Amino acid sequence: MAGLSVSMEINGRAVGPMEVPEYTSMLDFLQEYLNLTGTKLGCGIGVCRACEVIVEGDDGELRTLRTCINNVGRFNGKKITTVEGHAQRNADGDIESLSPVQEAFLRHFSFQCGWCTPGFVNAATVLIEQLKKSPVAKDEVEATIDGALGKHICRCTGYVRYFHAVRDVIESTPGLLKEGD
Amino acid sequence: MGPVLRAALLAGLFACSVALAQPLADKGRYLAAAADCVACHTAENGRPFAGGRPFQTPFGTLYSTNITPDKKTGIGNFSLGDFRATMHRGKGPHGNLYPAMPYTSYYLVRDDDIEALYRYFMQLPPVENRPPANRLVFPANLRFGLGFWNWLYFDPDRPLPDGKGRSAQWRRGNYLVNALGHCGECHTPRNFAQAMQFDRRFAGNVLEGWDAVDIRPQSLRRQGWDREQLRQLLTSGSSERGTLFGEMFRVMQHSLRHLSDEDIDAVITFLLDESEALPGKRGDVRQATDRYGGGRADYVAYCAGCHGRAGAGITLAFAPGMDDNAAIRALNPHNAIAVILRGLPAQRLDRTRARAGMPSFHRELDDARIAELVNFMRGAWGSGGAGVTAEDVARIRHRLDKEGYLGSNHGN
Repeated sequence: MAGLSVSMEINGRAVGPMEVPEYTSMLDFLQEYLNLTGTKLGCGIGVCRACEVIVEGDDGELRTLRTCINNVGRFNGKKITTVEGHAQRNADGDIESLSPVQEAFLRHFSFQCGWCTPGFVNAATVLIEQLKKSPVAKDEVEATIDGALGKHICRCTGYVRYFHAVRDVIESTPGLLKEGD
Repeated sequence: MGPVLRAALLAGLFACSVALAQPLADKGRYLAAAADCVACHTAENGRPFAGGRPFQTPFGTLYSTNITPDKKTGIGNFSLGDFRATMHRGKGPHGNLYPAMPYTSYYLVRDDDIEALYRYFMQLPPVENRPPANRLVFPANLRFGLGFWNWLYFDPDRPLPDGKGRSAQWRRGNYLVNALGHCGECHTPRNFAQAMQFDRRFAGNVLEGWDAVDIRPQSLRRQGWDREQLRQLLTSGSSERGTLFGEMFRVMQHSLRHLSDEDIDAVITFLLDESEALPGKRGDVRQATDRYGGGRADYVAYCAGCHGRAGAGITLAFAPGMDDNAAIRALNPHNAIAVILRGLPAQRLDRTRARAGMPSFHRELDDARIAELVNFMRGAWGSGGAGVTAEDVARIRHRLDKEGYLGSNHGN
């Protein structure tokens, strides 16, 4: 099988250039080549969104991409954040503090088995970053969360708790809601 | 005649007419499915046949009417004659209908079938629902102008395509496709006044941003369709040659899959000219890879996760293969390009047959990359020349964007 030379930045660290079979899915690349096993395989057909990671576009804008249905070539040369890349770490690489989104999910007991959580963490983080640039009116918060996370499937806790957690982050982080609301 | 005898006779007559009416209404139900009335005469999440679905035309927005037998807002006051005039001539009791109502095809529906349809609709539960008023620009908002349109473009004496020397099955298919199914309303190109161009019957037409494909026999053959694949497509929406999407998925959902096996056979016999050999020439992967290396790389990176290695698909329930796919083999590359730009929504036929939809790529892939990707697929797995230019993609992108089809899908 033909090989593909890939290099990218994942969680702030340069990866590659390295040669991988061209049909390698991004999910397999993370798990099998980089030992980043936090990204999970859920449905494998691009429906459940457990496997989403964050990709920075050429315009600097963050968005999520599914890694089960996209092969590694789509990520070549890009900046990527996986669920391993959100927490603050010290010089030894040990976790010092979780991100506000991760903290809120824990505080609200948003998830049980945790399989879908990496996708939720990534998509919610992208949402928060977008709101920092373009805040939302208070009465549009629910619809905004639904638009960003509505396609993510969770089979344990029934959606209400992650919803509360994300709303909590939006309301408690200054600048995410439109002035006067 | 004694009163008892008279009552008995009357009751007998009544029972007779009810017994006759029910099979006629049942026949009407089947014909209404064949004519796909429900698709247009039902609003999103609305009651069936109660009308109100909007139709965007170059002249403004039309709303379908309520065809339940409600006396105030539906067709409850229609006589059989009114119903026939509406179906055959586009003449409702209140004036001419806009030719969005396909009387331009239904004029070919036989009188006995018209009566069965009438009996079926009149025994439906009446639903009170007044659809919104049409919003058309001047002068299209003046109904009397439609008489002129009809005079110019509607020839109620134009017969069905000639069936001389054809089998009974072909002639049944001819009737189903041209009269009840009104397939030409989408698949036949229209002139500036939105009238069908009969000299180019079934040659294909872009509607709602999709190409209602060329379904002439030689084109279907060129795309490699055989009877069995066409049957799968028309009854389930999926086949090895590709899937139905856009309005055609709904046509299958509401109409085609309810047809009897014999009628589907007849439709296929009419559509396919099996005397023509299946095309032997196949694409050339090596040549396409040499010419469109960037397109191949993008196929591997963006498409292969669902459409499989070497275009072979993974499983049809997931996504169709691209090798020998009808949209890749088609002469007109419109759908191959449009599908990449806008993606496809999820589809659900029943509990076990659902499709996840396809992401759109209009934000990430520019015109030149899409042209090269389509050229690679057409060269490798199609039968036509590649030859798609970045300008072709730009034109389609511009039109889809203008018509609002590149909006919501995030393509991730």
